[in-house]
Amino acid sequence: MNLIGNLCSSLCSNLEGDAKNRGTQRTIDASIRFPLVSLFKAAVCWMLIATVFGLIASIKLHTPSFMEECQYMTYGKVEPIFWNTLIYGWLFNAGLGCAVFLLARLGGVPLKQGVSLTIMTVIWNLAVVIGVIGIMLGDQLPYEWLEFPSYTAPIFFVSFLGIGLWCAMAFRARVQRSTYASQWWILVALFSFAWIYSAAQIMLVCSPAQGAFQNLVSAWYAENVFGLLIAPLAFASIYYLIPKTLGISVVGYRYTGIAFWSWILFASVAGAAKMVNGPIPVWVASVGVIATFGLLLPTTTFSIQFLGSLLSRFSKIWDSASARFLFAGVVSFIAVMMFKIWGALRGSQEVVQFSIFDSGVNQLAMFGFAGMVFTGASYFILPRLLNKELPSSTLVDLQFGAHVLGLILLAIGLISGGIHQGELINGSTADMLTVVNTMRGSYFLTSMGLSLLLLGAIAYNVTFFWMLLSTRSEKEASTSLIEEAPELEYTAS
Amino acid sequence: MNRGPFIFLGVFIILSLTWALVINKPIQESGHLSPIFDAEQGGRLPMNAKGGAAQGKLVYQEFGCIACHTQQVRVSSGFDLQRGWGERQSVARDYIDQTPALIGNTRLGPDLSNVGQRRSDREWHLLHFYNPQITSKGSNMPSMPFLFETREIVGEPTNRALKLSAEYAVADGYEVIPSRKAEALVAYMKSLKVTYDLKEAPKSKDVMLEELTAALENAK
Repeated sequence: MNLIGNLCSSLCSNLEGDAKNRGTQRTIDASIRFPLVSLFKAAVCWMLIATVFGLIASIKLHTPSFMEECQYMTYGKVEPIFWNTLIYGWLFNAGLGCAVFLLARLGGVPLKQGVSLTIMTVIWNLAVVIGVIGIMLGDQLPYEWLEFPSYTAPIFFVSFLGIGLWCAMAFRARVQRSTYASQWWILVALFSFAWIYSAAQIMLVCSPAQGAFQNLVSAWYAENVFGLLIAPLAFASIYYLIPKTLGISVVGYRYTGIAFWSWILFASVAGAAKMVNGPIPVWVASVGVIATFGLLLPTTTFSIQFLGSLLSRFSKIWDSASARFLFAGVVSFIAVMMFKIWGALRGSQEVVQFSIFDSGVNQLAMFGFAGMVFTGASYFILPRLLNKELPSSTLVDLQFGAHVLGLILLAIGLISGGIHQGELINGSTADMLTVVNTMRGSYFLTSMGLSLLLLGAIAYNVTFFWMLLSTRSEKEASTSLIEEAPELEYTAS
Repeated sequence: MNRGPFIFLGVFIILSLTWALVINKPIQESGHLSPIFDAEQGGRLPMNAKGGAAQGKLVYQEFGCIACHTQQVRVSSGFDLQRGWGERQSVARDYIDQTPALIGNTRLGPDLSNVGQRRSDREWHLLHFYNPQITSKGSNMPSMPFLFETREIVGEPTNRALKLSAEYAVADGYEVIPSRKAEALVAYMKSLKVTYDLKEAPKSKDVMLEELTAALENAK
């Protein structure tokens, strides 16, 4: 683990750096430094805020008297604030940061108009702040992950349009004409989010669909936020970081196309599976169940690609902060997809429907999969961007340990607890008070898990701001710390 | 796959088709239901919510009650009917007047589709909102003291004041008065009941069997 301090030089020790190539890379990095640093600043702050709100919500489940006097912090408000800051605050900013870095590096050209990107992201983050305050004041909408008050929607939409156009321009400006899988996934995330967000806002707020069908639109949107926004940004980072941190190309890269198109096809329908036994036509839910089952195809391909690559260089994983987080993220991803696919089957829906199982799987997907991947990516990007070493390997170790342990507790508390809760709610006529009593232990476990995640978030914040604010040492100032392997910078598809 | 427009076009086609299939098609087919007029069951079905209840729905939305409570009854799975949460399956027509429809997808607490039928007592609901421990010991529902005002009794005690037992009583000379939001929320709770039948709504197996037998005998 002592190699983490000079992580980057250790990564490619057997490959010779190319001074000229590194020069170009430094120009590229310099062109995006300003927007990227502001994106990561926003991301780490939101990560802390989201985890705090998650913890408050979790504590309220087993100790309802916690903060009960405050009408701005009821469970019904804290819970949506937690999810929305997690997704639109932390993961969106972190994912976009990774995407911008990848677009610049893979395109091989310094990007212009960094300031306008920064302005757009600042507007986005202001919208998140307004949304949080709006929920506290009681203006929330009752749709999953769209709880931000309707007056924030135009701000989100305009700023996202700006961000999307900027990224499309960045993609067009590339000098390497052929593209890599990471770029495809970034394009998908940007295009899909514009589509699902506007479709959901129109069908829920502007001219709402009739009664029960709002629930369908809302479920479709929430599943797509994961499947078509957050997961693609994480895939993009994984496809780039595996070669970069391990020094090998992705195992079975030629099957990427299959995984890519089948994921988009099935993920965009999977949300309908939640409608089982609900007040809408039965066939819609059945299509959703089939689509969720279809996700087995891309999931298998991803598992072979990612796990195969990581396991073939298993000893290297523990030498690099990025690769370790990546590994944890990939393992979480596989677990999440298994739970999602299992949970959508009719037989298991009869058990877990309406329980905290879904919330558990989603938290594992957001914290465990996307969160760990973006954190790993940021440990790769930040030293290069700032030309500084990671200040303390102990803090990185602490964050990794706290996050892994926290995720395990969270998964036991919410997923296995959810199955148990579902058995009681759907499989018996047990009194709801009995269910609450039985679940108390699971809720405690979740709170402990979230406390650990909070500890990890604090360690991450300290690392980030320490790195940002410290002055460069002589060694850092005089030379380029990072010896890149130029032949890995660009991989033909 | 080296061209951006190709990827854009591919993704656009897939997303439009899947949206058309799972969102647009069901809405076109069965998302434009109209109410039914049935004189026997009291006129227009579903019945319209009254003014106070509509205010209460906003309060329900404001405090995010949907995070723990659903408003949908299932017949084909689970024990919703045995729990007394309803008498038949919730169907799309039940929700045609509701924008937003507060259907929900998490049951940390009981389903509320028919809470107005189970609990019609105003006082019970008020005590429940003031402190759920009074009415449901051990519940993890948050209390909502901010919906009530604790004030000094001037002259005679108000008859709207909560009747608190000794354990939960406030200081001598003080009383707890529900705010307008609390009263509206109670009105909303009391309005939540599905007391009418719809032809398309499946009922429990026993009821359906009875109705089928009756119909067969009529036919004979």
